[in-house]
This record gives sequence, C-alpha cells and structure tokens, in this order.
Amino acid sequence: MDQVNDENPRIILGEHKITRNLPTTETILDQTFNIKSFKKSLRIVIVRYTDTPLEMEFDIIGMHPFLANTFRRLMLSDVPSMAVEKVHVYNNTSIIQDEVLCHRLGLIPLRADPRMFDYRSNDSEGTEQDTLEFELKIKCTWNKDENKDSSRVDDMYKNNNVYSKHIKWLPIGNQSETYKPADVGPIDDDILIAKMRPGHELDLKLIAVKGIGRDHAKFSPVATAFYRLLPDIKLTREVEGEAAERLKKCFSPGVIGLRHKEGRTVAVVENSRYDSSSRNIFRHDDLKDAVIMTKIQDHFIFSIESVGAMPPDIIFTEAVKILRNKCVSLLEELEQV
Amino acid sequence: MGEYSDVKPTVKEEFGDPVLYSKPIKEIEEKWKLVPAFLKVKGLVKQHIDSFNYFINVEIKKIVEANAKVTCDADPLFYLKYTNVYVGTPDVDEGFNISKSVTPHECRLRDMTYSAPITVDIEYIKGNQRVSKTGLLIGRMPIMLRSSNCVLTNKSEYELAKMNECPLDPGGYFVVKGQEKVILIQEQLLKNRMIVEESKFGIQCQVTSSTHEKKSRTIVFFKGNKYYMSHNSFTDPIAVSIIFKAMGLASDQEICQYVCPHDLSKFTPTLEECHNLEIYTQEAALKHLGTKLVAKRFVTAASKVKTPVDEARDLLATTVLAHVPVEQFDFQTKAIYLALMVRRVMDAQSSRKAIDDRDYYGNKRLELAGSLLSLMFEDGNWTIKRFRMERQGVTQVLSRLSYISALGMMTRINSQFEKTRKVSGPRSLQPSQWGMLCPSDTPEGEACGLVKNLALMTHITTEADEYPLIRLATNTGVQKVTFVGGEALHSPTHYIVFLNGNILGVVKQYKYLLDSFRMWRRAGKISQYTSIYLNKSQRCIYISSDGGRLCRPYIIVENGVPLVTSTHINEMEKGIGVLRSFEDFLHHGLIEFLDVNEENDSFIACYERDITPQTTHLEISTFTLLGVCAGLIPYPHHNQSPRNTYQCAMGKQAMGTIGYNQRNRIDTLLYSLVHPQAPIVKTKTIELINFDKLPAGQNATVAVMSYSGYDIEDALIINKASVDRGFGRCLVYRNSKCVLKRYANQTFDRVQGPLVDPTSNKVVWKHSILDSDGIVAPGEMVENRQVLVNKSAPVSSAVPGTWAGTSNVEYKDVSASYRNVEPSYIEKVMVSTNEEDSGLIKILLRQTRRPEIGDKFSSRHGQKGVVGLVVEQEDMPFNEYGVCPDIIMNPHGFPSRMTVGKLIELLAGKAGLVEGKFHYGTAFGGSKVQDVSEELMKHGFNYQGKDIFYSGITGEPLEAYIYSGPVYYQKLKHMVQDKMHARGRGPRAVLTRQPTEGRSRDGGLRLGEMERDCLIGYGASMMLVERLMVSSDQCEVDVCNNCGRLGYCGWCNSCKSSGHVSTITMPYACKLLLTELQAMNITARLTLTHYCQ
Amino acid sequence: MSSDSKETAKTPMVYICGECHSENEIRPRDPIRCRECGYRIMYKKRTKRLIVFDAR
Repeated sequence: MDQVNDENPRIILGEHKITRNLPTTETILDQTFNIKSFKKSLRIVIVRYTDTPLEMEFDIIGMHPFLANTFRRLMLSDVPSMAVEKVHVYNNTSIIQDEVLCHRLGLIPLRADPRMFDYRSNDSEGTEQDTLEFELKIKCTWNKDENKDSSRVDDMYKNNNVYSKHIKWLPIGNQSETYKPADVGPIDDDILIAKMRPGHELDLKLIAVKGIGRDHAKFSPVATAFYRLLPDIKLTREVEGEAAERLKKCFSPGVIGLRHKEGRTVAVVENSRYDSSSRNIFRHDDLKDAVIMTKIQDHFIFSIESVGAMPPDIIFTEAVKILRNKCVSLLEELEQV
Repeated sequence: MGEYSDVKPTVKEEFGDPVLYSKPIKEIEEKWKLVPAFLKVKGLVKQHIDSFNYFINVEIKKIVEANAKVTCDADPLFYLKYTNVYVGTPDVDEGFNISKSVTPHECRLRDMTYSAPITVDIEYIKGNQRVSKTGLLIGRMPIMLRSSNCVLTNKSEYELAKMNECPLDPGGYFVVKGQEKVILIQEQLLKNRMIVEESKFGIQCQVTSSTHEKKSRTIVFFKGNKYYMSHNSFTDPIAVSIIFKAMGLASDQEICQYVCPHDLSKFTPTLEECHNLEIYTQEAALKHLGTKLVAKRFVTAASKVKTPVDEARDLLATTVLAHVPVEQFDFQTKAIYLALMVRRVMDAQSSRKAIDDRDYYGNKRLELAGSLLSLMFEDGNWTIKRFRMERQGVTQVLSRLSYISALGMMTRINSQFEKTRKVSGPRSLQPSQWGMLCPSDTPEGEACGLVKNLALMTHITTEADEYPLIRLATNTGVQKVTFVGGEALHSPTHYIVFLNGNILGVVKQYKYLLDSFRMWRRAGKISQYTSIYLNKSQRCIYISSDGGRLCRPYIIVENGVPLVTSTHINEMEKGIGVLRSFEDFLHHGLIEFLDVNEENDSFIACYERDITPQTTHLEISTFTLLGVCAGLIPYPHHNQSPRNTYQCAMGKQAMGTIGYNQRNRIDTLLYSLVHPQAPIVKTKTIELINFDKLPAGQNATVAVMSYSGYDIEDALIINKASVDRGFGRCLVYRNSKCVLKRYANQTFDRVQGPLVDPTSNKVVWKHSILDSDGIVAPGEMVENRQVLVNKSAPVSSAVPGTWAGTSNVEYKDVSASYRNVEPSYIEKVMVSTNEEDSGLIKILLRQTRRPEIGDKFSSRHGQKGVVGLVVEQEDMPFNEYGVCPDIIMNPHGFPSRMTVGKLIELLAGKAGLVEGKFHYGTAFGGSKVQDVSEELMKHGFNYQGKDIFYSGITGEPLEAYIYSGPVYYQKLKHMVQDKMHARGRGPRAVLTRQPTEGRSRDGGLRLGEMERDCLIGYGASMMLVERLMVSSDQCEVDVCNNCGRLGYCGWCNSCKSSGHVSTITMPYACKLLLTELQAMNITARLTLTHYCQ
Repeated sequence: MSSDSKETAKTPMVYICGECHSENEIRPRDPIRCRECGYRIMYKKRTKRLIVFDAR
C-alpha cells in the first residue's frame, strides 16, 4: 500500500469500486483555496493541438476538481457562439418539413467570432452588431446536359442535394467591410441539409445570433469538452513470461512493455497515461494482485473538441474570462448587500 | 430430382458403422435462410391473400353453382340460371358509363371503396325462348390489397412507387370508404369432428356438422344408465337404440356389433328402452321420433304434405349429423358414425385419457377473410340468423400507428370465446401452440390469451379437393366401411380411416397407408397441405384437407439425416441449380408442411444435435416460433416472459415510420419520428420483416445509474443537449375533413373567401390564414379557433321540389375550425371528390414535438418509463471518452423485472458501436456475451461494459463503475401534451348542472366515492359540502314549510302563499330528483328545521 | 356575408394535380379534374406568405 499512499491524492481503481488513498502530505484536496499556493502549484502542459479537426489536449496539474469541472461546464454551456436562431421561410416545397428543416439549419456550426457580436435582445430588430443573415435559395431541376441514360440521381438532377455550402451570407450594415466573406459562413460546406427532386425549391432567410449552450446545444462552441484523471499504473511484483503477455493485453497499447532480462520476459510499465482504464486485469485471478491502478486526482487531462468557430485554446480562455466576470459580479452583488 | 436422390445416403452408408452412428450430425449452415425464402413466397399475410384468392377465384363460383337455378312458382317453365360468375379488377365509376382503373391509394385519399365489379353470365326463359346474357353486373366486391385481382400484385418497387404504394406494405386488407379494414382471423372449434368432452351430465360426444346447406349439433351422452342422443331438432334426448332402429338397424345384435361395447351390461338398459317403448321396427322408431319433433316455425305448403314419419326420416337423413352423406335413405354410414360416437363415450367412461382437449390446436380451425366473406356473400350479413351466429368485431380498422402495429394486426387471431367467462383453459398457453402461435404476443387484461398472433412461419390452409385423396386411399387398401361388418370396425387389426371427419373406410396395413400418403405428398402429387396422422389409442387414421388448419414447414429427416444440406442452401442463395425458391424445396420433397395434428405424430428435432434414429423432421429455425412483434426483442430468451409480452403490446405504440408512402397519406392520426434509426442490436426477424427499413425508435446511450431522485418509479432522466439535437423528436399529423354536399332541393354547400372587417378593411383574425378560395393554404400556422375551411350550408335542405333559385338561398356558417391549444402547421390541403361526387377537402395538420417531462419511452424489453427530468449536458455524468448519456435509467428497474436481455442488448450494442457493425440478438441465438466482451476488450473497454464516470456536478469520479452503452429506445404515443388537463371553472352538463366529464369537454376532476369515503372518515364535512355541492351543482330552491314542496320566487304554488317559504341551498341533482319524482306522481315533502335546533 | 367575399370567390385558384403535377386553374363549383391527365385529386399550392420558424 506504500505505493499508493504517497504525496499525491489518488483514486484507486478496485475491481468493483473506486476508493481513495491516504496521502502522506496535505494535498490540494484538503486545502482551502488559496490563490498564492494555487499559483505556485498550478501547471498547464499542452500535449496536443490539431487544426483539422480543431482539437486540443492539455494537462492541468495541481487544480482542485471543482475548478477543473467549472471550466468544463463553462465551455459546454456558457461560452457563447453564433448559430441560426430564426428562419424566415419564403418557400419550401421540398419534402422536408419546415420545422425539421429549420432545426437542422440551427445545428449547422457557423464560422463567426462570437466575441465580435453582442447578444440580441428579444424584441429588437437585428443590427450589424448582433445578427448575421444568410440566405438559402435553391431549386432542383432536371439535368439536361448530362448523358440521359444514366439513372444515377446525381446525373439526372441538378441541386438534388442541398449542402451547407449553398448557404449565402448577406452582410448587413457595415458587415461587408468588417468581415471578409471567408470569415463568415458555415464551417463545413458538406453538411447535407435536404434532398430534393425537380420542382422542389427552398427560399429561406437565416438569422444567426449569439447565444449560449445552456439555452440550446447549437450555441455550444465545442463538440465536447471533458477531462479525465491521469492514470498511474504500478506493478507490485514482477510478472514474467506468458503472464506478462496477458498483462500487456489487459491495457491499452503502449501502457505495458516487455523487457528481456536474463532470458526472461518481464512486464514493465512504459506509459500509463494512455490507458483507457478498462480494468480488464481483474479477469485474471493470478494477475489481479500484480497491478495497482490509480489515478491522480489533481492531474486533469483536458480534451477540447471545438466545433470550429473558435480554436480550443481561445474557448478555454473565454471560459476563464466568464468565470472571472461571474466572480466580479458576485463580489459586486455582495458589496451591495 | 434425380440428382438429389443420388446424393441421398443410404442407411448402410451412413449408419452401418457404429462409430459413425454416435457422431453428431453436422449442422446445416445458414439453414435459417429458408425462412426469408419462405417469406418471399408466402409473405407475412399470405394466409389472408390465399384465402381471399381462393374465395374470388374458386369458392364464389361454387356458391353460385350451388344456387344456380331460380325457378318460379307461377310459371313452372320459367327458370333463370347463373352459368358463370367473375370478379373483375378494381375500378371507379367516372360517370357516363366510363370506369377507370383505380389504385388503393387513390381510394384512401378520396374516401372510396377499393372494389371490383362482380359480373355473371345468365340464362333464362323469355316467352319460350332460351336467352343467355353475359357480363351482367350484379354487385361490387371489395378487393383485398395484393390479392390476385389487385392492381398491386406482381409489381416492381418502381411501379408501386408510381402508384404511391409502399413496397414493404404487406397488403391483405381492404380499403372501404377510405378506411383500411382488416378481417381478423377468427378462431373456432373445428367442425364435422367428434369431440369427447365432459359436460354437466357427464361425458358426452359432440359433433358440430357444417355443410353448405345445414349446420347442426349432435350430442351423444350418458344419463342415468342409458345412452342418449340429443339434437336441436328433437325436443328431448332420445335413446340411441331408437335412433339406430330408425336408421334401419332393426336387430339389437346389429346395434351391438356396430357399437361393440366392452361391457355389454352397460349398454343393455339402452337397448331395453326400445323394448319398453315397444319399438321393434324402423317404422315404429320413426313414428316415435315423429312425436318428438320440434314444432316448425314456418309452415309451408310443402311441409304440410309430409307425415311426421317422413319428416323424421328426412331429418335423420339431412339434419342429424348433416355432414355424413346419406343417399337414397341408406343410413348405414350414418349409423356407423353414430355407433362410433357411442363407442367414444364408452371409451371415455372407462378411461379419462380418451377425453379430447377442446383447447388443443388440432381441434381448432381458423377462419380467414375468404371463408368469412363467403358467408357474407351467401347471406349478405354477418349476423346470420339461419346459423344463429352473431359476430362482432370481425372487421377492424387497420391500426397505422407504426409499421409493426399494422403487421401485428394482420397476424392477429380473435377467439370466439366469450371474454367474461372465468375459465382458464382457453386463455392459457397450449403446448400445441408451439411454433404455430406466438407464445408472447397476447394483450393483457380481459382479452388475455384469447387474442393471439401467428408465429413467423405459420401458414393457414385453404380447402383442397377431396376426390384425389379418396382415390389414393382406396388404391392403398382402404375398404369401404359399408362392405365390412361391425366386427371389423372394432377389431384390433383394423384401423378406421377418416377424411375430413367422415368415415372413409377401414384399413389393415395402416403403416402402408401413412407412408404412401406422405410419399405422394412429398412428391407433390397431392396437396402439400394435406395432413395424415395416426391416433393409435383410437385406432384411427385421420386425413385432412379442409381449410383453416394451422401448419408449418419442417425439414424432412430420413434415417437420421436431414435431407436439406448446406449445398442446397448455398445453391438457393446463389440462385444456381434446381433449388431456387422455397417452393422448389417443397416439390423436391426436402421440406414439408405439417399441421398441428400431424406434428404431434412426428418426432421433430430442434437442432441437428438432437437428431436420433426416430427423428422424422427438423426445425428450420427456432426463432420462428415467435411472431412478428416478439421477433423485435433482442435476446428474448434471456427475459422474464411477461416482459416480452409487455413489449409486444408496446411495440405497437412506438412511433417511427409507417411506410414509404407515409408522406402521401392523409390519416386521421399519424405519428412519426423525425430521426428514426435502425437498432444496433438486430434480430433476424427484424431483417425479415423489414423493421430495419421502417424503424420505430432510436439508439440512445444509456447509463444505468441513479440520478437526482427524479428517476424513481421507472422515470428516465434525459439529456437536454440530446433533445436539442433531435433525440425523441416526433411529428404528429392530424387531418381535418370537409365534405361539400349537394342537397335534394338543388342547394349545395359553398365555400367562401375570407371575411373582411368593413371598418379596418382587414381580414378578420379567424380567417387570416384563408386563401381567396376559403381554404387554408399549406405552410400556414393555425391557432386555436381559426377557421380551416369557410364552409356554409343552406339553412333548408330538406324541401325537395320547391326550387327557390340560387340567389336567395339562406346560408348558415358551418366552417371547419381548428380546436387545440397548441398551434399546428398545415402540411397539405387536398381537394377532390368522393364516390358520391360531392366535393371533399382534406387538410393535413402537423405538429413537431420535442420530448418533455412526462413523455413515455420504452426499451424493447417491456421497460417503460416517463421522462422525469431533462438535465443540462453539463450536469450529466461523462466518461473518460467524453461521452455523456442520452438517458439515465435507474438500476432498480432491473432486479424485479429480470430483463437480462436488456443488459445483453446494451453490451452487444456497445461492442457493435466500437466495431462498427450490427450485432444480432436473435431469439435462441445471437451474439454471445463472451464474444461481445472479447470485442469490447479488443477496443480497450471494460469487458463488463462498465466505465468510469465523472459527476457533471462535482467533477469528481463516481465511486461506482457505470454500466453504459446504447439501448434501442422507443418513443410511445402517449405524450403529456395530449393528456394534461386542469380546470377551474368551465362548462357544465345541461341536465344536472354538474361539471362535464373528460378532457375533451374541458371537464372537472371527479371526487369519487373512495375519495369521498376518505373525507367522511376524516370528518371534514364542510370540505365535503364544498366539493360535492358548492363547487359542483349548488342551487338555491324555495321550499314551503307548510306543505314541504318546492316553490319558486318565494311563492308556494300549492299553498298559494308566500308565508312559509324559505330559501335553502341543495345540489341541483337533488332538486332534479324531487321534480322528476313529482312528474311521476310522487311527492317528496321536505321538512325544514332550524340549523341550531 | 359581405360583398367582398363573394367577389373573391369567383376568382380562380391554382391547384396542383396529384398525378402529373401540372397547375390547374379551377373556379369554385368547377369539377375537380386535371386538364392534362384527368386525375381527380388536387393539392393546394403553398402559401406565398412568409412564415418564421425557431431553429430549435
């Protein structure tokens, strides 16, 4: 048990439940929040950042779970983004129902920096400060040019599939000066909106506003944002030979390695970070006791999968700002009491 | 044929070596593929279509032939003869004698009947010339969809689409006045067979005879110490000996030979009866019977001529045991039949084993559309007085809630048994139902066990010709029963052969008869649905070719080897070789149909490993013992059985898709899901019935854990983000219909444009959504009380003749308006004419609904629940992959329900998810938990399906591992929006002045008897007064203290005084009672005393 | 009934045939039948008015 009762706060993954360890020193979970010690202990390491898809993985070390969770929650439902909120249907003769079509349009992620916009109040007319307008005007026709024998739908008809690329931005006010056409519009242009046949027609005006994920999931700037605790796997005894192979298989690739030592194959922990915590070791009665699986409670591996409007790092800093503003307004409220 | 008979191994080759003998028989790979092959040719509703086809192509001709000649009393030379009858193809009268072919969908939309003309060829005498005419229209016949005369048969998917018809729709129903009607399969006790049963008096043998001409019931029973026969045309039971005498068996010895009692002493009292009554000759017996006749209701000229003796003889020949033919008054066969009945009663008296089971499915016949229609064709009504049959609920409107509900209705079997009787027998699961009827699919409550459903591969036979069977039987050594004496009938070496309930003869080498019949059947020389079986204890062989028997295909096993091999299946799949369809398998004698009776005379192995040398048949696939609805359940063999039954009921309420043509339909109510999904965990049945193409549900990620306390009592927690993204969203379509009639006085309904307010020159709000033609335009939103069609009808329509001219006809407003608090959108507006050529306007209204608290959801395991709470995504728990559940289900739902199938579905679904494939949860098979776990481990998941979850609220990991994964969830049609109701003040009933009842009338909520009792018990008397009077029908009445009667306005009319009148309050219902009593000349006098005295 | 509504009632409306999708002008009290194909089911055209929906 010495291996788990070190200076780190850990959770221990048992066969049937999760337990906590008894750290030797006072940990961040025991302390009351103190900005000085927090500043000292906090470390952020960016592990991975990709452009397509816009994703980021980073570690936050030395933070209390409540705070990490607050950032996760803020990213999901308090960081604003732009999405279609109202649809003016001038014509829709396609088979998709108006409400369903509008619901689909609402869920299309839009490329627009929400920081440049204001929230639109309920009763006001849209202005260039708070509204983006788009147009979706498309008509399906018979394709007369292509070879007539083909019975492929794509050859027979024109515009039989309506994609997000067909959405045209209509600048209002000085928006055409402020933004380039490339800055505004659907992020992905291959989202299928509707299927049509000759004679079907769509004529819609889309009105996009700024909103937050708590109001509707379409305003959430992330596909998802979550964290997990850093796994830490330790072997309590030497496992060799066939058992070592089995041990290796119980974990994600790269977690357990095999070393050759004096003609024996011995299992060693290589990198426990990427273990999926499947706990499949408990299937083997002989290996159960050879491993202690723990997770470090103040080490968060954050993943932010942006929807594309804002890069994940910005989303995180926005979340921090929102928390700060909330704190400020709370303090202001308290002062007035 | 030759090719395969060569391959067939002989006994020596396969069984000579005892080592080989003990070797297990190799499984036939993919033999279940015969099931889709079966469904391809038979379909799910083939029984209906076959029956209807038989009716319109064969039976209708037989009926007309039987009643072909019409003669005339006045002119004996005149006659009219029907020489032929045809049923055409469906058409519609376009006026001017032009008819046009019509599609079923047009009939649905235009509220017409999908029917075809019935034409006859006739021949009659005119003057003294014989005239014949062809093609005379005598009526119209509703045509069953996909029957031989329907326009949809043998059409490609493309052609069906052109006709706005769903290619997956099974057909088998009718379209009558725009409504889809099904004739339910009716179950009844079989006709023309002896049934020995226990009655009030003891054991009796009963025969219900049924022929085209007569229907009657004959009962032989034992009472006191004698055997009697009772029949409804005789007033009293009559000793059988008298009947025998009347049938020409004059000597007692002859009677005894035919009956052949074990113990003669038991039969002597019966014989003595004859002597007591001094009946020694046939004549005397008939005379005696003549005195016992039931008085006829209608005395016709012909019947008067007959003497009672003649009448009794006639009756014996035609009505008693009507199905046994008597020619030239030769009663021998009938006497033998009656003797056998007596003998059966005796047998049953000595051994209870000989009592038949009424609930046994071999003793049941199912009546289908064809036979029911033929009854109607004969008589024109389903309440046929002649046969004293009252039928209700034979036709029902096809339920189109979901594809499954429609399919389920087509396979439903209605029992004729009264629902009120408290006998468990007919309701309980009969072992002979195995494979024929679904053991799970039955409703709960009063119809439990009486309404049943067909299993997947069940076929119901149609009638086949008896003649070839008689010939075959005679050729295989069946001797006519009239040729052999009474001893032969009962000798242990002779077996009596029955054909459709009639004695055909006796046979010695019964094995040879059985074998040759089966051989000829397998060779396709006689009907595949003929059944032959041996009843050893009765020493009888029964051959059946009648309609309405349940049967089912099996693989034939010979010498312990199934005849169907993997090569056959492969060839069928690839379409090479001789075996391409299911029919080929039948024709080659590899597969045969067995009915319930023959099934019980066979050794059937479920699997190859069960085959023993005695085995005669092998199951094609075990999952086919379930029906359509139970077939949707994954891993049903792991569930507690009532759960499967519950799911069968709920699957019919699940919203989803109802057909490819659902957007073209204008139904009174149609539910559909916005984003339906095919289940990740499928079953073979799902694929066979195309549920994956017309699904009704969504794969929800479920976490089995408790959350917040809003999940108690099966409530579900759902994720708001999932709802935002479209989970459980549904469309509700309703229609509003409007008919523009023409009246006899040349007036007609009219539709006018919207009304304009003269002051503001604007269209009034009520009419704001109308077009200039006075009908709403599609796409508009309608709110409560807005007008859909601005129709007005003439005030007077009844006066014919006095035509006032169109200009000064008075009209009253009868506009169709929208009544619902929630607004709807207009989906489409159809304008057409119906069969009577009056205008028809149908408006389709649409609502889109997102799930809310109180909406009902259910998994496929009878686990229903309502939404208890909608939770923000941030508050939802999430796992190490960032996945948060769509639904949180409370684990307390599992221990008492024991729906292990659901747990396995979750696991298999999760594995399917990570592997990117569908898993199978087919009954008695499906992906194994072991393999599924292995697959999960391969992808780094816990083998038990339990993941680490973090609380969305605290952010810390949960102490327990959470069982999570996808489960197929159905949204059921019960939604709060349609049910929620509250009322403060509101409408009252006119008569009683009490609040109205029911949500639709904005009614009050009743404080019932039990609630009243609670209040009384508590002593809250003022509360009671408030509930029962003040808030209901409080009423002030004037009572005269002098005479005790009611007065009014402070005046007592009987005392002509106002001196003693005082005002009291009472329920109006009480006042109503007093006045009503007074109207009946009963005076109730009230005596008032002061409150404090 | 006001005189306005009677005037409007006389103007023909355009309906779409359910079979051949061609546009038919039909006056009130005219028989409902497509001029092109003789089909007797007609559908009304979609409203010209703007309808606003919430994208939720």
